[in-house]
Amino acid sequence: MRLLDFILRRSFTALFVLVGVSLITFFLSRVIPSDAAALYIGPKARTEDIERVRKQLGLDKPLPVQYAVYMGELLHGDLGNSISTKRPVTQELAERLPATLELLFMGIFIAVLIGVPLGVLSARRQGSPLDVVVRTISIVGVSMPAFYLGLLMQIAFFRNLDVLPLAGRVDSDLRFVSPIQSITNFLLFDSLVTLNWVAFKDVFLHLILPAFTLAAYPIGLIARMTRAAMLEVLGQDYIRTARAYGIQQWVITYMYTLKNAISPTLTVIGLTVAYALTGTFFVEVIFNWPGLGLFTVRSLLNVDYPAIMGVTLFGAGGYVLINMIVDLMQAWIDPRIRLK
Amino acid sequence: MKRVLLVLSLLSAAVIVLTACGPAATEPPAGTEVSTVTEAPATTAPAMPVVLKIANTANITTWDPVASFSTEASYLANVYEQLLRINPLGSAEQYTPLLAESWEVSDDGLSYTFHLRSGVKFHDGEPLNAEAVKKSIEAAADHAGASFIWLPLDSVEVVDDLTVKLNLTYAAPVDLIASSLYGAWIVSPKALDAAAADENFWSDGKSHGTGPYTVESYTPDAEIVFTRNEDYWGGWEDGQFDKVVVSIVPEAAVRVQMLEGGDVDLITAPPLDNLNIFESNPNFTVYREPSFFNYVGFFNTLRPPLDDVKVRQALSYAIPYDDIIAIGAQGLGTQSFGPVPAGVFPWDGSVFQYKYDLEKAKELLKEAGHEGGGFDIRLTYAAENATEEAFAPLIKDSFAQIGVNVSIEPMAWSQQWELAKADPANAQDMFLLLYWPTYSDAGADNMWSMFYAGAEAPYLNVTKFNLSYWKNDQYNGLMDEAGALTATDYEGSKAKYVEAMKILIEEAPAVLFFDTMDVFIVPKHIEGFKYNLNYPFVRYFFYELRAAK
Repeated sequence: MRLLDFILRRSFTALFVLVGVSLITFFLSRVIPSDAAALYIGPKARTEDIERVRKQLGLDKPLPVQYAVYMGELLHGDLGNSISTKRPVTQELAERLPATLELLFMGIFIAVLIGVPLGVLSARRQGSPLDVVVRTISIVGVSMPAFYLGLLMQIAFFRNLDVLPLAGRVDSDLRFVSPIQSITNFLLFDSLVTLNWVAFKDVFLHLILPAFTLAAYPIGLIARMTRAAMLEVLGQDYIRTARAYGIQQWVITYMYTLKNAISPTLTVIGLTVAYALTGTFFVEVIFNWPGLGLFTVRSLLNVDYPAIMGVTLFGAGGYVLINMIVDLMQAWIDPRIRLK
Repeated sequence: MKRVLLVLSLLSAAVIVLTACGPAATEPPAGTEVSTVTEAPATTAPAMPVVLKIANTANITTWDPVASFSTEASYLANVYEQLLRINPLGSAEQYTPLLAESWEVSDDGLSYTFHLRSGVKFHDGEPLNAEAVKKSIEAAADHAGASFIWLPLDSVEVVDDLTVKLNLTYAAPVDLIASSLYGAWIVSPKALDAAAADENFWSDGKSHGTGPYTVESYTPDAEIVFTRNEDYWGGWEDGQFDKVVVSIVPEAAVRVQMLEGGDVDLITAPPLDNLNIFESNPNFTVYREPSFFNYVGFFNTLRPPLDDVKVRQALSYAIPYDDIIAIGAQGLGTQSFGPVPAGVFPWDGSVFQYKYDLEKAKELLKEAGHEGGGFDIRLTYAAENATEEAFAPLIKDSFAQIGVNVSIEPMAWSQQWELAKADPANAQDMFLLLYWPTYSDAGADNMWSMFYAGAEAPYLNVTKFNLSYWKNDQYNGLMDEAGALTATDYEGSKAKYVEAMKILIEEAPAVLFFDTMDVFIVPKHIEGFKYNLNYPFVRYFFYELRAAK
């Protein structure tokens, strides 16, 4: 009952957040000095044609009216048509979402897989050279801009070593050799369930560089957070007691300490998922990854209002949702903060 | 917690196992260069077609060949064809016949008769005939993105199944118009009907042309796959490509790496600061070619002191042309001869060019009663244009040396244009513009659109590009005569245009900065690349390219 109450309350505030985001985005994207109608019709259009398009797109109406029309359509699940591709924004988002999510999941998976053990190791050997190395890695990971790291990795692994592909989701020859049967458009999954190993390997190799680039920041953050939380718990009396009982070190570390230290890390992981969603924008551009990020960048450059609105609302919705999930998970893990 | 750990370790184990398995599986010819792919892979996979791979920047704003007026021409030009294709100036033949095999023009230049190629079919199976051409041209004249190119058209007459006659209201070079990149593609009548009934008909890559390639698949923002039209009327030869895979890659650094690493065979818009890598690489040839584009700077001739021709001449002498090309275009340009880009009709290399000469500029200012300058110039340029952004400060520096103070205002292109089209009294003093003709007649386009005066002050004509607000009756008269002659007397028409250019240059209503150049990097394993500046947005006609043996 309290759970339902909590979800309802959070959903209600989320609604306000989303309306606020839509207001800000809508008006900001329209006050920037640019003419969507002129962009829509192309560089050498005549004034009359531009005016015709302006009417057609409803851009001749006052802004509040345009906003009301937009929100009305939004309630029916219609995000309008993209100005540059002329297709429904919902369709554009849906087609690109799997690519972004695949990258995002892989990135977060790598970040957790590397970040948590690094944090644990570092805390266990506080002050040792290993600790210094881990802390350096986390600082570098957190401070290095994704686009720069991405380029460096491309130069190292594609240009110099020639072991990993440069960009894209699959090799363009793949369609002729062993085409992927599209089911979910999560290519790793699709190639796995159709037992298409050639494609699976290709997709996997293409994922490595962008996923690592995306993971760099979360790895640093997660490692630092885990280390700090572990150190705090390791100093607790009951750990000392466990040691005194002669319980094996790995049991103390992973069963007693990490379990209690994971809560703040989980918050960080939740936040980094949301962060990584926007982080994919840079990564997608560098790796020519046909996901939401590339679409967003192009929409911004074309001042494609409906697309910008769609992406922003989607991003904001994702952020709110992930935060809610993290809160619920924390309550599940830690009874003390259970839905206060 | 145990559950979480268990899931994590299982997943990581799975990943490790799968990666380890990967290489053991049958190897695809990963990273194999297109030209060398002649044998099928050892598996039962389908035989590898000969594939051309291109990393292109161009987005698709529409798949509708009638509406198209933007970068998608890079693709559509391989799917659709015009009646004629115009060859670069200096070619043995002015035109390559495509869907029309021959044509004649009446003595008065008021009607053109085209004889169509027989046995040609559209991709959807419809036959190419006079009815189809009539329907296409009428659709283009009615609602094409570039419908204005058909302004002289009065009616289209079907003479017989393969003969079509275009009647004009005034003499105009229909051969040039019919070979236009935009607004002149011949489209299947079935598709035109379908598009009229359903506005979303063209929304995903359809092919209803006669061209050598059809669109096999289209993933927005990512990839377009073309496959060859086996029934193409031109036939197929060894080495031509079965498939063309275009990856849309907006990031320049990625395109360059793809080309260098052999991931693609060709790229568009190579970043100019990387050219030396390719120039020193024996596997590539770098082409620098004249292009369709030029940079113009309009003076506001309605406002003092720019209403004085001596002041405009003085400022024309104070432009550091060579530095502007070196810095603005990274050396890829040539100073303009008049308003017509080199290589386009009616370009002429004998007209006068202003050279950078500050002494002469000072002298002219003195003659005009502005010794030592002492006036201000408000210069606007399109903020989107990196070239203008780079060279505008050079104008400011140089004008400062003759005592003229320039304030530079970058603006969104549409804002800049709005300002210019409103009241000239409040408009800019100098307007930088990148211009190109819609089809290969810079007399009817550049010279007319940018400098032909409309009837009333501020003398904007229908294209509203006369942004010098300049009116010269003698120029207008010569332009009228030249335009009427193009259809019937090419040389005579050019002579009149050159005469008009001389007046224009003497009167200096605008600075004619430079003609741009295009750069192409072509690897040695691709043959047949022929540059045609008349189709600047196409970059590559796939049909002309061959994989080297």
